[in-house]
Amino acid sequence: MSATPLWRRYLRFWGSDPGADVDDEFAFHVETRVDELVAQGFSPKAAREEALRGFGDIQQVKAICRTLAEERERTMQRTQWWADWRHDLRFALRQLIVSPVLTAVLMITIALGIGATVAIFSVLNAVLLRPLPWADSDRLVFVYETWRQFRQGSASVGHFHDWTEQGDVFEHTAALTRATFNLSDGEPERISGVRVTPGYFRALQIPPVLGAYFSEADVARDARLVVLGDGLWRRRFAGDPSIVGRTIRLNGQAHTVVGIAPPETNLTRLAPEVLAPLVFSPQQRANYGAHSFTVIAKLKAGVSRNAAQADMERVTRGIAQREPKNMEGRGVNVRSYSDVMFGDFRTPLYVVLGSVIFVLLIGCVNVANLLLARATTRRREIAIRSAIGGGRWRIVRQLLTESVVLALAGGIAGVGLAYLGIRLFVSFGPRTVPRLHNAGLQPEVLLFALGITLLTGLVFGLAPALRAARENLLMSLRDGSRSSLRASGRDTLRGVLVVGEIAVAVVLLVGAGLFIRSAWRLQQVPLGFDVRGVLSARLALPPERYAVDDSVADAYRRILEQTRAVPGIQRAGASTGIPLMGGGPDASVQIEGQPFSPGSAVSPAIRLITEDYVEAIGMVLVRGRAMTAADMAVGAPPVVVINERLASLAWPGEDPIGKRLSTWTREADKPEWREVVGVVGDVRSFGPDTPPRPELFLPYTQAPVMAWNAFQRSMAIVVRSADDPAVHASSLRAALRAIDSSLPLYDVATMREALGAEAAGTRFITGLLTLLAAAGLVLAAVGIYGVIAYFVTHRTPEIGLRLALGATPRSVLVMVVRHGAVLAVIGIAIGLIAALAATRAVATLLFEISATDPPTYAAGAAALFSIALLACAVPAFRAVRVSPMQSLAEP
Amino acid sequence: MEKELLHGTLEVLILKTLSWGPMHGFGIGRWIEQLSGNELRIEEGSLYPALYRIEKKGWVEASWGVSDNQRRAKYYRLTTEGRRQLHKNADTWSNFAHAVARVLGAKQQPAS
Repeated sequence: MSATPLWRRYLRFWGSDPGADVDDEFAFHVETRVDELVAQGFSPKAAREEALRGFGDIQQVKAICRTLAEERERTMQRTQWWADWRHDLRFALRQLIVSPVLTAVLMITIALGIGATVAIFSVLNAVLLRPLPWADSDRLVFVYETWRQFRQGSASVGHFHDWTEQGDVFEHTAALTRATFNLSDGEPERISGVRVTPGYFRALQIPPVLGAYFSEADVARDARLVVLGDGLWRRRFAGDPSIVGRTIRLNGQAHTVVGIAPPETNLTRLAPEVLAPLVFSPQQRANYGAHSFTVIAKLKAGVSRNAAQADMERVTRGIAQREPKNMEGRGVNVRSYSDVMFGDFRTPLYVVLGSVIFVLLIGCVNVANLLLARATTRRREIAIRSAIGGGRWRIVRQLLTESVVLALAGGIAGVGLAYLGIRLFVSFGPRTVPRLHNAGLQPEVLLFALGITLLTGLVFGLAPALRAARENLLMSLRDGSRSSLRASGRDTLRGVLVVGEIAVAVVLLVGAGLFIRSAWRLQQVPLGFDVRGVLSARLALPPERYAVDDSVADAYRRILEQTRAVPGIQRAGASTGIPLMGGGPDASVQIEGQPFSPGSAVSPAIRLITEDYVEAIGMVLVRGRAMTAADMAVGAPPVVVINERLASLAWPGEDPIGKRLSTWTREADKPEWREVVGVVGDVRSFGPDTPPRPELFLPYTQAPVMAWNAFQRSMAIVVRSADDPAVHASSLRAALRAIDSSLPLYDVATMREALGAEAAGTRFITGLLTLLAAAGLVLAAVGIYGVIAYFVTHRTPEIGLRLALGATPRSVLVMVVRHGAVLAVIGIAIGLIAALAATRAVATLLFEISATDPPTYAAGAAALFSIALLACAVPAFRAVRVSPMQSLAEP
Repeated sequence: MEKELLHGTLEVLILKTLSWGPMHGFGIGRWIEQLSGNELRIEEGSLYPALYRIEKKGWVEASWGVSDNQRRAKYYRLTTEGRRQLHKNADTWSNFAHAVARVLGAKQQPAS
């Protein structure tokens, strides 16, 4: 009698069952013993009792045995698993070594794809993802005053003070403003720096390299303190630690060095080398009208940006009630630090990363296609493997192991390439990208590399592996090695893969095309001045030796006189602000005969200029006259030159010549009328992609005191020459030395260089995308070539037969090319639709061109179609040359 | 005579019986009893856990076969590792048994 029910045996079918085994084994033991005892004369009942006695608690014994058996089972499975892997790995390596050329081609494709992807990711990681060096940096915010549509305006001292005193959401607040210093110990040098309130250092929590930072108490005792940047300290003072406590001369005054700041103390794009205290007088604290400070704050723990915005709006409403006149059109805007600093780079970097992943994907498809081709030749091997008991999953795993090993080999080479790529980025990338120099192979970058490598291996390995597992075993063995190809040689899977890669390549092409068109449009924009033959250089006069009255203007007059005497210089002028080289202050303008209120007044950029400046920079005079030497003379009538934009805002539809306006008056509420004598063409001062702003030009000799202070007594000298302007840098320096040998000349650049630096970022991204699109195009061409070549090879007998039966070479050519063209057209159609969706992401980065620009799409499609036809042509002509006899003789 | 046997002893005895050839659990127990002159009675409650333990250690391996009485039975076979363990432990145990026997069979008090 069997105690094992029949169904239980079937359980073994699905794998071992330790529990059932124990039951069966014990049942055998008991039954054998019972038989024995019955034979000795026991009754069956007594025999069973006797037999069970030896087991004691049989359930407990069973449980012990079952546990032991299960533990054994698990250990065995694990051992088996590792053994399988080792076997797969050895086999995979052997496969790669057997065909070294194929392996090399595959590895290079993968290495290039992964290398480029990892390099771009490393840049993105450095710029956007790596944590900022400051504790709780996610709590750092900028607080802006808004004015009409301008969302990120500077704040007045009054605002900063009230936000700090009356706000409930900030742990620390700091105001800062850009300041430049003439350092005159030794060779005079212009140092860029900032003035900051002491809260700045508390918000950052970065310890000084040496010494200390200044506190409110220190500053109250003596405001002539200075913290030196680490770079300046090493460069100018050879890293001498005894500098702390000593004094250095800044702007001609002795300042005590209190400490050395590490580079991490730089919060803005200014890269200051000197940090000096910013001190506000009680009068300044009551000023809500002059907006010139950047405010940085650190939120209290747990306070959201929105809560901070709400609280600041509350405080600002209070200010508006007290100062209605100053607050017209104004509000407050709290923005997270990283948004402000890195927000502009987020979209471009993700676009580039997306593009490079597209290229990697196309590379994957090519690798998959090559592996599919190889799988055909390996069909017999795989058929035999499955015939001798290799399970389907086992074979898939074997093939996946091969592709992952291949991917890992490619990935390791790729990381090497990425290292080189990152070095190139850091050296040649645009300087405007913050934190770019931090790009490197950090652990998270390597982890990304590993992840993308494994993923790559799975992506290109999956199709061949699944295909192999689906193979019809009998068919493969019967047909032999030559083929079990469907007679047509059409291969749906490979066709789908090629269509996919063509689609992706179209997206890349269209994307790059949009950027190229946008860059071209940017170049066509008239800047409003003539960049050719212009050199500019800036200098600033220290207040100590150049008191505000006539000495400033006199100094510039003498420097220009010296400059004009230099042979080769045709024109020389100066302005407080020149195009492409930073902005300048605005001033609200009162127009004669029109009602005036500060909130709604026209606010042009204000510039002080010398005679000849308009001619030297090459601006276009539209009406009236430019400034002449007579306008600069003492006691000359107050005049002004405006640009067309300001003219149209102030006197729409009227001739502005002879009209009068007032700005930057010596006393508030008391207009000082100036006659408009000339109108110049608009200038794109902030680069070709920023629309021109209203601008206003005053004779530099007619500047009020506050104007020179606002400009830090600084002007840019502009010279125009017929030859290469760069050679005149030394003559400018010589001219300056003749006037004052302690003054440094800085920001020396030709206008062409300035324009190049301005466009560096856009050009860099356009270049990258073009490169990636070109790579995608070539890879897609290789892919379609592979498929058509395969098609031709496998139809050689048929083509030979057709030719033998009298088909014209032309018809054979058409047949082959049509096959490729169909794939290309499907791929291009899908790609164009995908491009419509994908390019929406870059719409904001394009200049005066729609993301759905039809010519670009047509050009992308045409480029890909021609390349595809070209790729088909090579195997097609080979097909035509097929010798009928030879092809038929082949087995 | 019934005796509590230490785990290790029983495992060595099983290995010894299996050194003659594959056998099922019932047969192993019977062989040990017979060889000990029916001095050792092997409790099934100890025998089977011991078998599973040494199977897990890899000293024996099992497969299903048909017994003399035409039933499906699980047969144990000594592995190479099991044979090695048998040689190693058999010596230890016989030395130990001799020592115990000498002590128990002593005729006089040791000189102090």
